[in-house]
Amino acid sequence: MREIIKLVVVLTLICGISVGTLEIARANLAGRIEKQNDRYIRGPALSRLFAKPADELLENKINLNLDGQKYPVFFMRENGKITGLAVEATGKGGYGGDIQIMIGIDLLTGKIKGMEIIQHSETPGVGAQVEKENFRSQWINLPLTKNIALKQDNGKIQGITGATYSSRAVVDGTNRILKLVTQHRDEIINEIQAKAN
Amino acid sequence: MKFTKILIHGFWKDLPPFRLVLGLCPALAVTNSAENGMGMGLAATFVLVFSNMLISALRKVIPDKVRIASYIVVIATLVVLVEMIMKSYFFALSQQLGIFIPLIVVNCIILGRAEAFASRNPIYLSFADGLSVGLGYTLSLTLVGTIREILGAGSWFGLNIMGHNFEPFTFMVKAPGAFICLGILLGIMNFWSRRRGEIFIQT
Repeated sequence: MREIIKLVVVLTLICGISVGTLEIARANLAGRIEKQNDRYIRGPALSRLFAKPADELLENKINLNLDGQKYPVFFMRENGKITGLAVEATGKGGYGGDIQIMIGIDLLTGKIKGMEIIQHSETPGVGAQVEKENFRSQWINLPLTKNIALKQDNGKIQGITGATYSSRAVVDGTNRILKLVTQHRDEIINEIQAKAN
Repeated sequence: MKFTKILIHGFWKDLPPFRLVLGLCPALAVTNSAENGMGMGLAATFVLVFSNMLISALRKVIPDKVRIASYIVVIATLVVLVEMIMKSYFFALSQQLGIFIPLIVVNCIILGRAEAFASRNPIYLSFADGLSVGLGYTLSLTLVGTIREILGAGSWFGLNIMGHNFEPFTFMVKAPGAFICLGILLGIMNFWSRRRGEIFIQT
């Protein structure tokens, strides 16, 4: 009996101290990791969507708080008018967890400029193929007003073979963003104007 | 004297992955460039040194029945720490190494040294053992990475050194090249050892 107690106590202590250390490390490093993410992932993604150098675009950011969720929104301004948005949201139901995507929106034409994957935990070679150019290019010039779906769900998007969950999660994230933009468009523009001035 | 002996044994006598045949997976997978090899080696060394010291410090406290489980918790915690540090300060390298950083947890060198050495020796000796085996591993990985990068991409640490007329052997930076490179290096080392009359455990 004593032996079992010792086993339990030692394991519990080791696990407890390990978790505590990791939590302290995470709290201290999360800010830095976010900045690195911006520099190496969001920056290039924004550049690809808007064909402009990343440094300008990264600064134009607001954080939308709706229904308890946080949505980072990047905006592009030309001659004082807001011409484009890049909205980030989480697509649920990925194979390895949620997938963070970013949709570039052209406010002048009302169409999608492109889709970028910001963060995922999908299987390399299978679900991770959602990052590929030929999958993401299906998003270019889609209208903002219609929800999208995979071909097997009566939609138009060709999913990745063998990676249905991952493809569906990206579609889910896109539809969330479309809903957000169509329903709260004025709110978003107002918040951006407030920040920009 | 024992300290010095342990401090150098990882550089030839127990050199991973050639003499101490462990840690082959990263040696094949991430050595497609010298920088990746060195980065992986240093990350593994960090984990190895601290896990050796921690496990040595706890060796009288951890009951025998749960020792493997405890070692793995300690090693996994260190690896997550390394991953966070790499993502904060060396983001580009962490993207290159990708999934192989978390896989350091199952790198046999670390669990192997913990079980074979750290669990029965004092902290200062375990530190020396971890440092020497880890740095030996780093040297091996950097060597394999160098050969593969120079032959397979004409560069070394990203600097073009073979000139512009050099047609690289691209297969060297892919999987077959890794196996061939490792095999040839191992063959050369064994030949050299036999000439010097060193005794092998496997005869």
